Amino acid sequence: MTDHSAPVPPRTGRRRVFGHAHRARVRRIPERLGWPVGFALAALALFLLHYYASLLGLKGFLDVWLPRVSLNEALVYVICALGLNIVVGYAGLLDLGFVAFWALGGYTAAWLMSAFFHQVNVHIGGSVPTTTPGIHVNFWLVLLVGAALCFVAGVLIGAPTLRLRSDYLALVTLGFGEIIPQVFRNGDDIFGFNLSNGDQSITPLDPVRSIAIEANGVSYRNLGPFDLLSKYLIFVGLAALVIFISLRLRDGKLGRAWLAIREDEVAASAMGVPLMRTKLAAYGIGAVAGGLGGVAYATHVNGAFAGTFRFQISITLLAMVVLGGMGNVWGVTIGALVLAWINSTGLPQFGNAFNRQFGTDINFPGYSFLLFGGALVLMMLFRREGILPEARTRLVLREEETADPAADAGEAGEPDGWAAAGAGKAGERS
Amino acid sequence: MTQTTLTATVRPPLSTKVIISRTIAGAILVLAAIWLVANAVAGPTQFFSAAIAGLNNGALYALIALGYTMVYGIIQLINFAHGDLFMLGTLFSAFLITTVFGQTAPSAVAWAVFALTLVATMAFCGVVNVAIEFLAYRRLRRAPRLAPLITAIGMSFVLQQIGLIWNGSLQRQWPSVLPSGGITIGGVGISYKFLIVVALVVPLLLVMRWLVAKTRPGKAMRATSQDQDATRLMGIDVNATISFTFLLGGALAGAAGVLYQQTIASTRYDLGFQLGLIAFTAAVLGGIGNLTGAVLGGVLIGLIQGINDGAPYGLGQRWSQSVVFSILILLMVFRPNGLLGQSTGE
Amino acid sequence: MTGAHARTALRAEHVTVRFGGLVAVNDVSFTVPEGAIVSMIGPNGAGKTTFFNALTGLYELTAGRVYIGEKEVSNLALHRIAALGVGRTFQNIRLFGLMTAEENVKVAMHPHLRSGVTATVLRTPRQRREEREARQRARELLAFVGIAGAANEYARNLSYGDQRRLEVARALALRPKVLLLDEPTAGMNPRESAQFTEFVHRLRDEKSVSVLLIEHDMSVVMRVSERITVLDRGERIAEGTPDEIRSDPRVVEAYLGKAGREQRL
Repeated sequence: MTDHSAPVPPRTGRRRVFGHAHRARVRRIPERLGWPVGFALAALALFLLHYYASLLGLKGFLDVWLPRVSLNEALVYVICALGLNIVVGYAGLLDLGFVAFWALGGYTAAWLMSAFFHQVNVHIGGSVPTTTPGIHVNFWLVLLVGAALCFVAGVLIGAPTLRLRSDYLALVTLGFGEIIPQVFRNGDDIFGFNLSNGDQSITPLDPVRSIAIEANGVSYRNLGPFDLLSKYLIFVGLAALVIFISLRLRDGKLGRAWLAIREDEVAASAMGVPLMRTKLAAYGIGAVAGGLGGVAYATHVNGAFAGTFRFQISITLLAMVVLGGMGNVWGVTIGALVLAWINSTGLPQFGNAFNRQFGTDINFPGYSFLLFGGALVLMMLFRREGILPEARTRLVLREEETADPAADAGEAGEPDGWAAAGAGKAGERS
Repeated sequence: MTQTTLTATVRPPLSTKVIISRTIAGAILVLAAIWLVANAVAGPTQFFSAAIAGLNNGALYALIALGYTMVYGIIQLINFAHGDLFMLGTLFSAFLITTVFGQTAPSAVAWAVFALTLVATMAFCGVVNVAIEFLAYRRLRRAPRLAPLITAIGMSFVLQQIGLIWNGSLQRQWPSVLPSGGITIGGVGISYKFLIVVALVVPLLLVMRWLVAKTRPGKAMRATSQDQDATRLMGIDVNATISFTFLLGGALAGAAGVLYQQTIASTRYDLGFQLGLIAFTAAVLGGIGNLTGAVLGGVLIGLIQGINDGAPYGLGQRWSQSVVFSILILLMVFRPNGLLGQSTGE
Repeated sequence: MTGAHARTALRAEHVTVRFGGLVAVNDVSFTVPEGAIVSMIGPNGAGKTTFFNALTGLYELTAGRVYIGEKEVSNLALHRIAALGVGRTFQNIRLFGLMTAEENVKVAMHPHLRSGVTATVLRTPRQRREEREARQRARELLAFVGIAGAANEYARNLSYGDQRRLEVARALALRPKVLLLDEPTAGMNPRESAQFTEFVHRLRDEKSVSVLLIEHDMSVVMRVSERITVLDRGERIAEGTPDEIRSDPRVVEAYLGKAGREQRL
């Protein structure tokens, strides 16, 4: 019989019950090193592929199937999807309006790196001559400002709303995700003040001043429209930063608090976890990632275009998080890259090839609704845990219909301490 | 029990949070009332015209909101795809009336076709809704909340794709078989179309009310919404009841679709998304799960939107959505149970 | 109240909990002296768990006050009360199923861990030390309750008995002054219940907590409690030592009805 006064040695007869978690334990060790190294290698490999494309005779192929523009755009999606992963994947808060932070980041870049506010002349490490009117702040500084602004926005939005239950929270976030972009779309005349230039958008933006990789060496200068590889490095760096922060937080006290909240809010609260503060942290930090992505995207498309911030983006990001396995940083990264690529390059190019081959004239990109919608439905019906789920998520989304703790004991076979007196058997006795 | 002393009957003081929350809620209501009155005073004709236009929409919102609230009441799912079902209804209506039967103007035949289309579209949308529930939602009934919600979003996209293929990416205009023109009361124009909408929607709502309150399937619906397991134990087929709910909700969306297509006379593939969310806000305003509330909410939201779009102090149509969504957010934060819902103790 | 000089770990004064028209707990006053093991019993539906929930902040007090030591905690937020030293287990086990046993315990250390976001991201020496100590303490607590080997198991994979023990370990991680156990022996056989009685004494002695139990198993209650309070239909109908309660006719009547009044408990 079990003895309470001494530590209990591991039991040998319960392989099956332990089996599942045992697999998870082994899984963790490679996860520590394997994934970061893999990510770095993949990033490097892609860079080298493009750098030496002409040499390798791959330029034609890459320009069609993996153009640098798509690569950079995909990385922006990765950054934002990772932000959403913290909110939805870690803390379990359904956010359907993440595009609001993307938009906020974009307009922050537009305000601080263009001639939009031509009434003033502010230069802080800007990349244009000091005679140019407008606000011109250094790109790296703008990243910080965008992140900070989005953090504040996240906290402001979250403070009154995060105590709502999940479906109501989803709607409220959707509401914000519609209102904020609409404010920008109508922003050319808010009580006479031109906030966002409305549908005409704010463009062009100042060039980014960074390390430029060229055929004949490295320099530090303004990046032009052809310096896509140099931008690639910046975006990879930002993605790596968000990945790093996500992983570190998950392993610490905040990550545990988030997981606990996702599991059982009340129990978490009874164990000393402050609900509002913890949820706000998830929201704010997720928003920071959105802000970084938004700023990066603005420099990528050289402007803040009101019409681009639509509900579909929020859902695309959600699809990336779901596909990648909610809470799994690496899964979401891959999921984001894959989905973004399919959307920007894969689908159109496949369509072209298909039409050429079969002489048809099907507009494949026009079916993106079906693609995303269908993917979401099918994933939820058949593989809710995502393509690369965390061991946990596999359990959370495949919850058994009847939660019966004694069921585990029953299946273990042999009676074991209190297990023999599990709830199921107690019913027989009374 | 021994007599308690004064100190024992201390009630916990209202926390500052609650006080602030109630003050803000009160202030918002007061401001809204002032805004309404200012509008009415500044331009009465304009105000009432805008109100009529708003009520026209409001009637349609009421129909759609009923579908949302019925489904939410019974399986606690926000059916994101419901608005897109309404959109499909508009397409089906256009298809039948104009393409199949070639009716483009009011006439006796046109009226017959209209009536037929109404019934057919209601059936069509009802069946589609039942199919969606069966294929996509039924399996996820016991899954954690996130799963059916995400599926509903996915379904919404799928339906939008169908709309895109069917209707193209641009808005299309259609001829109407309902008479144009109208009557004028005190300088305010009330179109015949509006009267027809009212004439159709009111009976429809009354029938719905009777169905839910007095018939056996309706009782089954109410029982299922309270306790699925207990209902099942009473021998009621829960699956059939839920399917029936989806059938009703879909039918109402279909009716709204026909009316929209014949009064506003346009169709677009993304109509469902915008109007769907507005209708859901209406359902929440009235108290989600409460049928009368859905109707009340629909009418109110329609009114507010109409006045915002057309009255002197309205913000104009380009802010329409922001206004409605702001209402949604304020509702959720301050009074998630809406006007007619009960206050739940969390 | 016994001895105004005795320090109390937890004190409830005239607590009333009302849900709409239903009064679930009606003017119940109650004390847990420091270092005591106290039980609360009563028929099903008497309001015991409701009372627990009111004490811990899950339900709002309609009236009355609650004190932990000398500090008033009436209507404070759940997590604040927990951080002030009230640990609890739940009637229906509420573990974090998808976290390991060790992680479950570490969650409850949240109020005591000081590292913020920056420290966590940068893994400062202090944060690393804190995590190390947390890990060690978690394992000690798991060993104390007898499931040291399950540290890396997902909580939902544990046996029912181990889950109950994990819940206690988790509650202990709060360094509570008072430990509230809600029907901890549900589903145990007599031998396990006997062991559990020893366990409660160990809890009080080795972890310096005062223990408040809700229990149905009379043998456990009689053996483990120093004082027993009886609730029936939301009201306190009796309070005293096990012997006093055993022979109190009101208690017998509450459990067994008027016909049972002649029988001894």
